[in-house]
Amino acid sequence: MYKRALIGVLALGLAACSSSPSADTAAKSEDLKGLSGQIGSKDFAEQYILAHLTTKLLNAHGATLEANTKLVGSANVRQALENKQFVGYWEYTGTSWITYNKQTQPLKTEKEQFDAVLKADEAKSIAWVAPAPFNNTYTFAIRNEKAKELNVTKMSDIAKLPANEKTFCIESEFSTRDDGWPGVSKTYSFDAPKDNVKLLDTGVIYTATKDGKDCNFGEVFATDGRIAALGLTVLQDDKAFFPIYQGGFTLQADVLKSHPKIADVLKPMADKLTTEEMQKLNAKVDVDGDEPDEVAQEWLTSQGLI
Amino acid sequence: MTAHTGQVQRLALKRFVTPLAVVVVLALLFLWLSTLSLDSIEQRTLNTGYLLDRTQEHLVLTVVSSALVALLAIPAGIAAYRVRSKAVRALVIALGNIGQATPAVGLVILLAIAWQTGFYTALISLVAYCFLPVLRNTLTGLEQVDHATREAARGMGMTPRQVLWRIELPLASPVILAGLRTALVFSVGVATIATFINAGGLGDMIVNGLKLQRYPVIVVGAVLVASIAVLIDWAAGLVEDLVRPRGL
Repeated sequence: MYKRALIGVLALGLAACSSSPSADTAAKSEDLKGLSGQIGSKDFAEQYILAHLTTKLLNAHGATLEANTKLVGSANVRQALENKQFVGYWEYTGTSWITYNKQTQPLKTEKEQFDAVLKADEAKSIAWVAPAPFNNTYTFAIRNEKAKELNVTKMSDIAKLPANEKTFCIESEFSTRDDGWPGVSKTYSFDAPKDNVKLLDTGVIYTATKDGKDCNFGEVFATDGRIAALGLTVLQDDKAFFPIYQGGFTLQADVLKSHPKIADVLKPMADKLTTEEMQKLNAKVDVDGDEPDEVAQEWLTSQGLI
Repeated sequence: MTAHTGQVQRLALKRFVTPLAVVVVLALLFLWLSTLSLDSIEQRTLNTGYLLDRTQEHLVLTVVSSALVALLAIPAGIAAYRVRSKAVRALVIALGNIGQATPAVGLVILLAIAWQTGFYTALISLVAYCFLPVLRNTLTGLEQVDHATREAARGMGMTPRQVLWRIELPLASPVILAGLRTALVFSVGVATIATFINAGGLGDMIVNGLKLQRYPVIVVGAVLVASIAVLIDWAAGLVEDLVRPRGL
């Protein structure tokens, strides 16, 4: 008996903690009434922010969604969408193309890549809406002082450096993919001896690149908030080697069919999410330590979206 | 055929079942691989050179860390036992507990950030993680030696050092060896985290396969790690049988 009472108390507590949708939305419209369920995310700051942004915005238009940011690993998140556990989550075109659709050659322009992924995922009953301008692709970064010392601003500058300065930190997955190390080192003639290439975990790469002990050049993500915070310079991909990892909202095709307004509601928000804007939002979480939930709420309000 | 040779044959058979099973599993795995058409991403890891390199790195990490654990934890256990102070013993065990309770991934990444990346950092994390079972088994093994046996040895005029080397350690050796065996098997699994800090090993394949959803890559990585763990456990079992003092 007391167990039930305890659950009741917990539920009340939870209800009190979560901002109730009716209070903070001031109902922009009721277009999405009846849309309920969970919005998922992968396990890093950008994804948490995007999940909260989307949940809050859709709720402001009558939906009753909640953000679920507990899953770990992008494969699991995609699986949860395919199993209809999630209504939707933010994905990157390049990831869907290479990882889920098992392609090895990315397409050249943003639009081509988006259309190709849209079509490939259609077969799996997954729809894409709200392509945002941000491109969370791979890029190489170097600490500011060293960039000046070596006089590098673009990736083709690396080829001219002496061998002992051509040191790289990359992720193990990056080391095997066509759009990763094998391709980039060939395109830009890095010609680095094997010992100059260190395989590290994503988080370690940022600090290692900042320290400069392990490597001068670290493989980083273009929208990461730590780039600016750690004083890193991003090199220009002057031969446009890296594939496009444009962000877009993926969702169950059935849900989009019954609530086609989702696309219209998300579009004004997505349009504002540029690579620089995403960097700023990510830095609030990764560098300043703010809660993704609050970062999302503040941004939506400041942009006049809710 | 006498009962004795029958027993020996059974033992011999038992000894070869494990490696045989591993060989069969690996053969099936590579047979299955040969039926797949691998894309360029998969080909970069599923080739002989890469697999041998990663396996070698994994084995070196495992074996060196276990050897270090044996060198450090057994003397630490003996020392804690001989001091006969409850406080010292509790302290030593607490240190071992910290090592094992700290998530190995966290430790390895913290060390990589605070100190350096690479083999030695991975080695330290592994040693910290596998220290406890050997330490505890050394202590337990020594403590469980029958009091009367110890008294008898002393009564025969042995010095405490002689009692330790000739009576206590031999009698404790099965338990100590069992601890080492546990540490070895532990370290095979934990060595997969070396991939996060440029120390190689089969973790490279597992992480890679997981992130890119290339199932053949994950499966081969995971099966190789499991096979190594099983083989090492088997080899340690053999050594245990050989080293165990007669009559025990």
